[in-house]
Amino acid sequence: MSELLTVSGLTVTARLAADDLRLLDAVDLELRAGQIIGVVGESGSGKTTLARAVVGLLERNVRVDQGAITLAGQTVVAPGVDRTDRIRGSAVGMVFQDASRSLNPLMKVRTQLAEVLRRHVRDITRAEVERRSVEVLAQMRITDPTRVLDSYPHQLSGGLRQRAAIGLAVVTRPALVIADECTTALDVTTQTKVVELFRTLVDELGIGLLFVTHDLMLASDLCDRIAVMSRGRVVEHGDADQVLEQPQQEYTRRLLAAIPSWS
Amino acid sequence: MRAVSHLQLDPVSVRRASRRPRTSVFWLSLPLAVTVGLVFLLPLTGLLPDAGQNLDATRQPPGFLDGGAWAHPLGTDKLGQDVLTQFVSAGRLTIVIGLVGALVAIVPGTLLGVLAGYFRGWVDRVISVLINAQLALPFILVALAIIANRGSSLPVLFLVLALTGWAVCARVTRSATLAVRERQFVFGLRAAGASETRIVLRHILPNLAGTIVALGTLQVGTAILVESALSFLGLGVVPPRASWGSMLASGQDELSQAWWIAFFPGLAITLLVLLVNLLGDALLTHHDPRKRRR
Repeated sequence: MSELLTVSGLTVTARLAADDLRLLDAVDLELRAGQIIGVVGESGSGKTTLARAVVGLLERNVRVDQGAITLAGQTVVAPGVDRTDRIRGSAVGMVFQDASRSLNPLMKVRTQLAEVLRRHVRDITRAEVERRSVEVLAQMRITDPTRVLDSYPHQLSGGLRQRAAIGLAVVTRPALVIADECTTALDVTTQTKVVELFRTLVDELGIGLLFVTHDLMLASDLCDRIAVMSRGRVVEHGDADQVLEQPQQEYTRRLLAAIPSWS
Repeated sequence: MRAVSHLQLDPVSVRRASRRPRTSVFWLSLPLAVTVGLVFLLPLTGLLPDAGQNLDATRQPPGFLDGGAWAHPLGTDKLGQDVLTQFVSAGRLTIVIGLVGALVAIVPGTLLGVLAGYFRGWVDRVISVLINAQLALPFILVALAIIANRGSSLPVLFLVLALTGWAVCARVTRSATLAVRERQFVFGLRAAGASETRIVLRHILPNLAGTIVALGTLQVGTAILVESALSFLGLGVVPPRASWGSMLASGQDELSQAWWIAFFPGLAITLLVLLVNLLGDALLTHHDPRKRRR
């Protein structure tokens, strides 16, 4: 199977008043369909910048200097090239940290799903919108899809809200889903459920998942591969087991040592 | 003690507070609707006294006072014209001025404010300079300059109301837009491939609706007050047209002999502006589904 997402030598710089700040420094990454890659690192390591670079939503003063991002063989991001408007929402879906803020509070879940579907599926009928909305919420293991569809975000529990937000990201059947710290705001039990949900989605739908988190343990549970980031560089990149059991880099060893254990 | 006590919300008062918006919107709209209805429908009934002059019956007190006659329920002015008839037709003009005056300020103000707040960059810089320039100009000077140049007429009055009102609206919607655009769902929409136009029209604007409605109602009040002030200076509505503001102005030198000429329009302006502002407040709470009980 060929690579779904390839990031090669990606270098991203922010132009600040005083100086230029390198946010990403020659980042390499590969992800296949049906795989989960965990991007792990502390705050400011560049993991969110990486996630945003893939969908072309960097801040205005931030530019791609070198390298490229390709999705299914097509170059979408390179210096001076930005074709992300063709993939945003259709080939790539994104889930964010806090679902209570990533849904429009004034719209029912139904309207928000319908909006994304209408935008990306040409000439979709009303019945088809309804069918796919119910279908995607059922895929999210929501037992009562119609109730959720007819709810405003604030009427749902945190877990339901996050699942509705994930539904919003995958309803257009993207090949790649980017989850940016999307379990951080949830309690541990809900976190586990969301993580399990991601695993089944990846297995069932064959999507590729780029899972950005600072939680190394969570990543080790969920991910096939792990990329450890520090100061804008990928310092370690490999299969999850290998990274966790035989860390090659000092930084990863320190990160692992920082996890509290029972003993 | 006080700092602590406001945190202790008992369930009953919480429930009552969340119920209030709907009922208060109704109870505030009712008198406004009645006023508008009366002012627009009364002339059609033929019940109002004749509007003409009658120099034999000048400065007659209202019907409920000594020396008054029910033929003129609110008395007559110095030309013997019926005050109630004037009051009703002036009310019509006042309400129209309030609504149109608010609209001409709100529409361009909101548009520019949202553009500046959403797109930032040079758009924001240009619009912000315009806002600051407008706010630096004293309103009365702007009004005088325009009216001196173009004469007083309704279109000129609306131009003055638009020019004096848009900047405040633009500044408030700009900052509200700045806050909304930073919210995560806006980023989520962009990540989901929504177009900028759609984000602004379908998502940013509805999230500003509370602010816009509040601004709008406040602007209705402001428009009525500005019109009254201009009319008081003889710059707003001029005879043969009359608004409550111009009635107030023409009644002021009669205050010692015939207070009722100025009193009723003055009272009406006060109550109307108060009701409109309270309604704006209630709508603000009502609009937000999170504050609404379902």
